[in-house]
Amino acid sequence: MLSRFHLLPDAAQRLCWVLLALAIAVLPHLQHLPVWLVAIAAATCGWRLLIELKGWNLPPRFLRTAVACGMLACVAIGYRTLNGLEAGTAFLVLLAGAKLLETRGTRDLTMLVFVSYVLLFAAFLYEQSLLRLPYLLIAAWVLTATLLRLHESGVVMPVRTAFATTGKMLLQAIPVAVLLFLFFPRLPGHFWALPARGSAISGLSDEMNPGDVSDLSLSGSIAFRAKFDGEPPPPAQRYWRGPVLHEFDGRTWRRPRGVLFQSQELLQAEPGYSYRLTLEPSNQRWIPALDVASEWPENRAIRMSDWQLVAREPITTLTAFALRSAPNYRAGTTLPMPMRRFDLGLGGSHNSRTRALARELRAQAASDQDYIQRVLDKFRNEQYFYTLEPPRLAADAVDEFLFDTRRGFCEHFASAFTLLMRAAGIPARVVTGYQGGELNRLDDYLIVRQSDAHAWSEVWLDGRGWVRVDPTAAVAPNRIERGLDAAVAADEPVPGRFVRRSEILTELRLAWDAANTFWNDRIVGFDQKEQERVLSWFGVDNADWRALGIALTLTVVGFFSALGGYLAWKFRPPRGDAAAQTYAQLCRKLARIQLPKAPHEGPSDYLRRVAAVRPDLASTLEEIRSLYVGLRYEPAPMPEVLSRFKYLINAIKTS
Amino acid sequence: MSLRAHIRNRIDAWALKRNGMDRDSLVITGRRVYILPTRLGLFYTGMLFAMLVGAMNYGNNLALGLTFVLGSLALVAMHYCHRNLAGLQISSAVTDAVFVGQEARFRIALENPSAMGRHELTAARERTECTPVHVGVHQREIVEVRAPARLRGWLKLERFEVATRYPFGLFRAWVVLHLPLQVIVYPRPSARSTPPAPFETDVGSAQDSRRGDEEFAGLRSYHPGDSPRQIAWKAYAREQGLHVKQYAGTAVTSYWLAWDSLPDLGIEERLSQLARWIEDAHAAGRAYGLKLPNTEIPPNVGQAHRHRCLAALALFDGAAR
Repeated sequence: MLSRFHLLPDAAQRLCWVLLALAIAVLPHLQHLPVWLVAIAAATCGWRLLIELKGWNLPPRFLRTAVACGMLACVAIGYRTLNGLEAGTAFLVLLAGAKLLETRGTRDLTMLVFVSYVLLFAAFLYEQSLLRLPYLLIAAWVLTATLLRLHESGVVMPVRTAFATTGKMLLQAIPVAVLLFLFFPRLPGHFWALPARGSAISGLSDEMNPGDVSDLSLSGSIAFRAKFDGEPPPPAQRYWRGPVLHEFDGRTWRRPRGVLFQSQELLQAEPGYSYRLTLEPSNQRWIPALDVASEWPENRAIRMSDWQLVAREPITTLTAFALRSAPNYRAGTTLPMPMRRFDLGLGGSHNSRTRALARELRAQAASDQDYIQRVLDKFRNEQYFYTLEPPRLAADAVDEFLFDTRRGFCEHFASAFTLLMRAAGIPARVVTGYQGGELNRLDDYLIVRQSDAHAWSEVWLDGRGWVRVDPTAAVAPNRIERGLDAAVAADEPVPGRFVRRSEILTELRLAWDAANTFWNDRIVGFDQKEQERVLSWFGVDNADWRALGIALTLTVVGFFSALGGYLAWKFRPPRGDAAAQTYAQLCRKLARIQLPKAPHEGPSDYLRRVAAVRPDLASTLEEIRSLYVGLRYEPAPMPEVLSRFKYLINAIKTS
Repeated sequence: MSLRAHIRNRIDAWALKRNGMDRDSLVITGRRVYILPTRLGLFYTGMLFAMLVGAMNYGNNLALGLTFVLGSLALVAMHYCHRNLAGLQISSAVTDAVFVGQEARFRIALENPSAMGRHELTAARERTECTPVHVGVHQREIVEVRAPARLRGWLKLERFEVATRYPFGLFRAWVVLHLPLQVIVYPRPSARSTPPAPFETDVGSAQDSRRGDEEFAGLRSYHPGDSPRQIAWKAYAREQGLHVKQYAGTAVTSYWLAWDSLPDLGIEERLSQLARWIEDAHAAGRAYGLKLPNTEIPPNVGQAHRHRCLAALALFDGAAR
């Protein structure tokens, strides 16, 4: 079938090219687009192709208008907006479908290629992963070849030529694109607010039900990466602080809404850790900084009164933050009232058995400290199991877990522990976040996955402030030191366990991740700072936009002069042989003394005519003439003849 | 005169002043080639600008990268567009004469001396372009510039453009040329079916073709200009080649088409009428001569004779009579 493509009429070939271009541009969007929309777009493509192949007429104007309006309505109803990336992409896809039904000339088809370019562009706004790059490069190539093919009307251009020519042009375009990329001034901030992206992605949330964290832990996807200046912290200190939950209703832990806690002082001991945290898009605002952040970019993030870091805008794309954290800290000297009230809340009348247990244990304990130890001992010594697949729990979730099921994941232990503390009069709260991380030795950074999601407790001890207590550590000490895989039973569905069993696969996975990290940090995350660094290689320090502009102009102009020269060389007219060139030189000399060669004159006629006018040159010209005729028509002229010929012509004085 | 036309005239005058009249068969130098974005190119620029703003707003480096690649591609395309024209050799080719009211087609030869093919070359006059041609390596193609022939006499093509939109239609490169191109425009043959003018006969038998007593005298081989009516189609169908039937007596009959025989008409009407008679006589394969006030063309047949007579009409100077 492909071999017969060139037999199709030109118009059909062009249409096929454009349909291919559209298909390639829509492909990366398939995962975001609803099925009905893809079906409609595919149907219009098929319809248009049939029209072309069967020689039918294009649909009449009213039908086209109706189809276009119908599609617009579909998007408006389906998405409830026409604004935003998703609705915009959907609209563009349908627009291309509607446009297809009225394409006649090159112009219409070109517009469709432009739409395809915009769709490719939008695909980058969705995702900037390394894997996408080759696809998008190839797609840009196909689209550009289509553009070339559409504008070749004289003869039908073979497919191979179209690809070869555009491939060459793209390669020639890439150096300037790289220069622009490096030197084009980057503006911090946005021109307009980014519309929020619809669907939530699994990640931390501002409430915690039993089973939430274990669900999250079933995902092996990456939550963030952290690259430390110097050594990363030891595993036991790798607590990444997410949302702090205060409110409890007997089952669910939440962040209280509409409550602003008074901030508490925080004494942080240096030295801390400086690091760069690169977050995968979550559509949330939590920044899981190493517990507790001490420095953060204030224009982009806020530290709340319970010391979690929150971005000012939802993280919809891969985003990096330069942070500093101090894991050794002393948190708070006094506990202000509203926070104390929240952090002693017992969640109504639920979980009465737990409360009774708390009263009983507290009565036996000498101090709060002793009580905490007794609770942890209970977890450690009695039959409690740490598992990724905990049984489902009903309303009195903590009672059920503590006394009946005894199988739970970290949120069950944190929840039970915190409630036990509160029931004994110790203010306590649940902190969610991540714990651990895999060190990639190739580039010395930590990879933290959703499977590292964790929940722990913080208790208020008078005189010591907020103290972190991780009840999971009592049940499954391996979880903290060696990660989830080491802490749960061998038959549980830990993500990535299969990979970790094989050393080669682990290495490969880490290498691939290192490549991705390089890509994310250096290319995707290329910003003003990186730009300054690149410029400083070239000896330009503190570059402002003016220096950037000059650098850009100079390099781009330089490149295009080189390209112009290259093209001029490729298109150069053929040089004649040495004899012809020398003869042309003679003609130019004689033209200077007002004796130009007429177009119809051969050398003999011409030189005789000149000799008649200039008797002083006659003998030389006669010799030149006979030499030239010899050079032209003798089978193998002697090289001396040519040098004599050249000599004579050089010797002619025209002044 | 509208402002636009005024500006256009000024530009044309400047273009003529800059390079002067061109010699026939010239090679386009790079500095003569002008280049500007087309409407499509402006649209593309707009699209790129929107992409740039969008990418900056989202802080999306890859989208920005794609924008830069596309922008850079356009600049590369601009160089290709320019190069596609520079170095091209242009010369005039034979242009056929036309009648008033027809369209003159000036034929222009484009020759590609270089080792790279040239695409999408067109010739244009007053913004109407001919179908683009592809000129392969060391090849030569003919393009036609059309101009309406409104007046008899010499029609000069003062100025035309050779242009290209290769490769993506984003840019149009063109060169303004002033080649000495001209074509003769015959007067429009009058439509009125006035019967043929009174004829004089040469010495010999004056035979009326209607009587049918001409004798078939044999076949002679065809020469360009012979009337299709006299071709021996049967012989042609027998694959004996093109021959013309000859009749005894026909060769001696000739017509004089005379200016003085049409005293009632104005100059142009007379010329039109004469042109009509020439065309009819030529089509019928008759010999005819032309008598104008200061020109006399003896009777003859054939294409060259027809051209001579019609050219005499075309260049007839009414005032010099």
